[in-house]
Amino acid sequence: MQKNINIPTVLLLSMILFFTSCKKDYGNLNNATVESFLKDASQSELNNLVSGTESGMRNVLNLYLDDIGILGREGYHFSSSEPRYVTDLLGASDATLSGSNFYIANPWAARYRVIKNCNILIQAATNSTHITAAQKNGYVGFARTIKAYQLLMNLNLTDSNGIRIDVTDPNHLGPIVNYDDGLTAIASLLDSAKTDFSSASISFTLAGFNGFDDAAGLIKFNRALAARVSIYQQKWQTALDDLTESFFGLNTGFNVGVYNVFGTGSGDQLNPMFIPQNQTGEVRLAHPSYAADIEAGDDRISKATLRNATASLSGLSSNRDVWVYTSATAPIPIIRNEELILIYAEANIQLNNLNEGVKAINVIRNGHGLTDYNGSVTQPALITEMLKQRRYSLFFEGHRWIDLRRYHLLNTLPLDRPGDNVWSEFPLPVTEQ
Amino acid sequence: MKLRLLFILGWLSIAIIPLSLFAQNKIITGQVTANNDQPVAGATISIKNSTHSVASDAQGRFSISGPQNAVLIITATGYKTQTIKVENDEALQVKLTEDVARLDEVIVTGLATSIKRENLANAVASISANELEGTAPAQTFDAALEGKIPGAYINANSGAPGGGISIKLRGVTSVYGNTQPLYVVDGVFVDNTATSGGLNVVTSALANGATTSNQDNPSSRIADLNAEDIENIEILKGASAAAIYGSKAAGGVVIITTKRGKPGKTKITFSQDIGFITASKLLGVRTFTADRAASLSRDSATSAALRQQFIDAQSKGQIYDYEKELYGNTGFARNTFLGISGGNDNTTVYFSVALKDEGGIVKRTGYNNTSFRLNVDHRVNDNIKIGISTNYINSSADRGLFGNDNAGVTTGIALSSTPSFAQLHPDANGNYPNDPFAASNPLQTVALMRNNESVNRFITGANLEAILQKSGTSTTKFIGRGGIDFYNLQTSVLFPGTLQFQAVNKGTSIQGFTKNLSTNYILSLVNTFTPSDKISFTTSGGITQETGDYNNLLNVATQIIAGQSNVDQAGALNATQLRTKYLNGGIFLQEEANIIDAITLTAGVRFDRSSNNGDVAKYYTYPKAGISWNLTNMGIFKGDFFENIKLRAAYGQANNIPAYGSKFTSLVVSNITGFPGLIVNTQEGKANIKPERQTEFETGIDFSVLKGRLSFELTYYNKTIDDFLMLTNLAASSGYSTEWLNAGNLRNRGVELGMNARPVQSRTITWNTSVNFWLNRSLVTKFIIPPVPQGSFGYVLGSFQIQQGKSATQIVGLNGQGVGVLGDAEPKFQMSTYNEITFFNKLSLRFLLHWKYGGQNINLTTLENDFGQTSKNFDQVTNKLGVPDGIYRIMQVGSDAHEFVQTSSYLKLREIGLYYSFTKLPGSLVKSIQVGVSLNNYLTITKYNSYDPEVSNFGTGFSSGVDVDPYPASKRANFHVSFDF
Repeated sequence: MQKNINIPTVLLLSMILFFTSCKKDYGNLNNATVESFLKDASQSELNNLVSGTESGMRNVLNLYLDDIGILGREGYHFSSSEPRYVTDLLGASDATLSGSNFYIANPWAARYRVIKNCNILIQAATNSTHITAAQKNGYVGFARTIKAYQLLMNLNLTDSNGIRIDVTDPNHLGPIVNYDDGLTAIASLLDSAKTDFSSASISFTLAGFNGFDDAAGLIKFNRALAARVSIYQQKWQTALDDLTESFFGLNTGFNVGVYNVFGTGSGDQLNPMFIPQNQTGEVRLAHPSYAADIEAGDDRISKATLRNATASLSGLSSNRDVWVYTSATAPIPIIRNEELILIYAEANIQLNNLNEGVKAINVIRNGHGLTDYNGSVTQPALITEMLKQRRYSLFFEGHRWIDLRRYHLLNTLPLDRPGDNVWSEFPLPVTEQ
Repeated sequence: MKLRLLFILGWLSIAIIPLSLFAQNKIITGQVTANNDQPVAGATISIKNSTHSVASDAQGRFSISGPQNAVLIITATGYKTQTIKVENDEALQVKLTEDVARLDEVIVTGLATSIKRENLANAVASISANELEGTAPAQTFDAALEGKIPGAYINANSGAPGGGISIKLRGVTSVYGNTQPLYVVDGVFVDNTATSGGLNVVTSALANGATTSNQDNPSSRIADLNAEDIENIEILKGASAAAIYGSKAAGGVVIITTKRGKPGKTKITFSQDIGFITASKLLGVRTFTADRAASLSRDSATSAALRQQFIDAQSKGQIYDYEKELYGNTGFARNTFLGISGGNDNTTVYFSVALKDEGGIVKRTGYNNTSFRLNVDHRVNDNIKIGISTNYINSSADRGLFGNDNAGVTTGIALSSTPSFAQLHPDANGNYPNDPFAASNPLQTVALMRNNESVNRFITGANLEAILQKSGTSTTKFIGRGGIDFYNLQTSVLFPGTLQFQAVNKGTSIQGFTKNLSTNYILSLVNTFTPSDKISFTTSGGITQETGDYNNLLNVATQIIAGQSNVDQAGALNATQLRTKYLNGGIFLQEEANIIDAITLTAGVRFDRSSNNGDVAKYYTYPKAGISWNLTNMGIFKGDFFENIKLRAAYGQANNIPAYGSKFTSLVVSNITGFPGLIVNTQEGKANIKPERQTEFETGIDFSVLKGRLSFELTYYNKTIDDFLMLTNLAASSGYSTEWLNAGNLRNRGVELGMNARPVQSRTITWNTSVNFWLNRSLVTKFIIPPVPQGSFGYVLGSFQIQQGKSATQIVGLNGQGVGVLGDAEPKFQMSTYNEITFFNKLSLRFLLHWKYGGQNINLTTLENDFGQTSKNFDQVTNKLGVPDGIYRIMQVGSDAHEFVQTSSYLKLREIGLYYSFTKLPGSLVKSIQVGVSLNNYLTITKYNSYDPEVSNFGTGFSSGVDVDPYPASKRANFHVSFDF
């Protein structure tokens, strides 16, 4: 017996010894990993992060624009499969905004994802031994500028509910800061990015920054964003100062600016705001008040084209499509000169330089087929006129709801159904509460 | 690797050669009959401690060669096993007694060992071929399991052809990890990955721009198996039984044994089924009037136009029931099977061909499956036996476009907003008009789109048993088992540019190519030591390895050239590739002791490691132990009342390895105008991720009375899952939305009561019945992160939520005052009964009833119809506000989600079949003919307000019971004829 058992025992032991020595770690077969980029990234790897950042800014942009457009009664989004565009967002029948729902959770997360990418870019550029100090400043300046812009977009949605500024360490997130502190942090982030750019060499390529893709151009872009933040902060003189360093020009064309661009290439995105005219089912419609309130002769009526047939859903209807984004590869502005002209008008009106304000407003009016402003030249009247021009010039570019909130005018928005509500802010996503 | 195999073979030959010199001595003959003197055909007669066995013929006769003083073991399904010592040369008369309680059924308890049910420490469910396939065959193997496993909660994902099912054994065993059992077919670990065809590209069901989502409704790969080849299924429901399977056993193990050849005269079976498939239920559509048509719009001009449109349609007789047009197709089904079984003493062969071709209840959908199987067993000598199983499968499923959708394109969603007076039919030139009420014309979509999955699959396994050592008291065997499962899966999705919703993309073609190779082996040594006939020990030990290598390439082409589907015939092309790869290694040891056939003690341990774990080198330890105490065999209960009483208890641990890649934070490609971009993934990696660990304790009592005609099996279990893996939602401001986390502990407790009986037994009528009752309750005992809604539509429409102190499957949502519990996906209890009544041994009636009581679904199908103002009862007024019910239900959205969390109790007559056998036939060619008719899922009694209460549109994961316009469930009527030659 003893002898017989030996063979199996030896066999078992040798099996265990020989077969179990297989120990494998396959790594990640599908993607590059953050861990490897943080070690010592090459210039091309850093450029991948820059392009990824620029690309990621487009993610879920449609929801951001829909949120602001629908709450600000610029338009409706009818979807046969998603009722919440016409229930929650319009506050129908006691429906409220919920922090667990897509309309805040998705855009909020998409912006912070870009911020994370910017933070990885900053860290990877700092750790990289393959780039010069000036090149590093270029990467860091770009990352900080984009971070500030993305933070601002989220703050625009949550307003007094605030945002989180310090998000470097996912396990130890900084506190939620209030609206004013949020704007202050965003402004100082833009300022430090401007400093970075002042001694930077740009060794990356950008897609939607035509004419603004070198250090000087990026400063202009950075200051344009700063001007927007300044008027939100009601720092009117600072806004004018920012404008002088930006690409602002009363006569340089409304559409000069920086854009989110789209393409059909592999891994690229199509403009998510594009819906062909006269669709049924999934449609984005201009609010009836857009055409009702527009001045005769205003060419901006072309942003809301007449449909073959009125579309209606749940007691809402409209006979005009939103026609701001007219193809699947049409760009979506990040910031453009038409807004800067309106910022120039607003800051001057607020500083009581009323004639300068009228001058800027007339640039807008004349540019859209209208005659010069002939209303009374008082601060309140001009503010009303300025807001109206912003409404038509920046239609579905994500402004009207914010503008009316800034001027405490949300209560002037039309309610389409009994029981509808106008919301002044989104709740924080449940994951942040 | 090759060297190692050579090494092993070397050792084997050294070990085996001396033993292969045993001599054979004499021929033993005999006849096997049942109690009523009817011959038992197909009984297995084997010689103890040998690889040698034969089967009895149609007259029950057998002949086998064996040594002097051989001990014969005679087994036959449904009968008690007999052991006979051959003492003289006379022909043996073996009388088998029937085994209603299945006490003598042999249950696989180890990786290489098995035990009689009589001595089993666990409640192991088993399904025989007749129960699986013999009543009213389902379309696919997975659907055939429904209602047949006590302790399981089974849901078809949808009614789409080609299967797709979620099986949860004894409650949820994981939240975001794998919840599905491991399938083992003849020792081969079979892959059951659900591969998405990329439908999310058009449906945007998951609105994050991803190509795939869990809502793409892919089929299960386990559905490829041909049920007719299956001899028996055993289900190890938790770690106490399955611990020896280690890191893959947390969801339970389904052990499938296929049919094998039996020595003797070659038996040929040919069968043909013909059937008809129709929708189980249609919801009906709203009856429109001119006023109701006008009320679809509040805009006065549109409203007037709609009124006119209705009046025009009505006057032309063009009012349609589009639901009936879409779902009212009768699918024709045919199923052909040829099985050949035979062989001699040394070599036996089983060969089968099965061809299945079925239509669906929606035009241009359907399923076909071609399967070949060849199982060969060869006895090299008295000590060495080799078995090979091979299976080739070619299956193809056209599944249509159904389910959740954020683009208005799936059939159900488009239908939900299309009123009966819409004109959707093609003109004389075959051009379909746009559906003005929806983003797509569902008639056009069904007529022109394609969503096909086709699989070429090869599963092969080998089994080597060699007796290394043999003495009067000890036998040592080497058992090697292993195999490969390889498949190529092609998903082919095509949406031509002429479709209404392809106005932007101008045609989308999504072509997916998946290759998967899984391998596994178990090498073990088993020693049986029997110092006396009162006590015996079985010691087994060995090593195991499992590998998986999955590679999925998905190409999304848009702007395609008309009539073309190749991805290069397009204006734009996006490709994604996903690879996963793992290697798990284990070492196991198991000891089983049997004392006077009354007390059985089992103890085992498995050490496991996996390349998916944070620490790839670390071995995790999974112990198990069991005891069964048979009081009657012990002699404690004397007298006739109790045939058998057994007390049993078992304990075990198993784990669930983390998903591939959980360790890493990836950078994913996101290009912009030709510049390659990388953006951080939304899932944060977890470098130190651990597997989740399951510990199960079960105990029970089994007893049978009335000479075994009535038996009961009562089981209680407590299963805890520690460190369960959650794909938890992070504060989105971290830049990540999810990370894997070992987030807490949960517990499942439940009872399973089973009864087997033969209430009627006479020469003319036999009635066998089994009744099962089971329930499960879960509780989250620890949860280290704040509760957040999971895996559904948020509080507004009802959502799952993991929360400490609450059921793991609770459904929460707005309740009018705030957020509260609205339901639970877990049923209160389930019951099923399987019955077989046989008249004159010829006519057999079989049926399976299944009752699920309680449990809620998240039902958005009705809500979608309300939104589209097409629900049948839209205009009925039964609510307190006095508005139409449809309006009332819409008003609940945003304040109260009770309306959408609906109880999904049901009573289903799942299967009923009536079969008649002709056995006395003229001529000798055909031995018997069986004819039959059967109905599958023909009767469902439920208050649930959608197509089928049994639904799970979000796939096989944790979030079961979500109902969003699925492919409606179907019922089947079949005619069967089968010939035995």
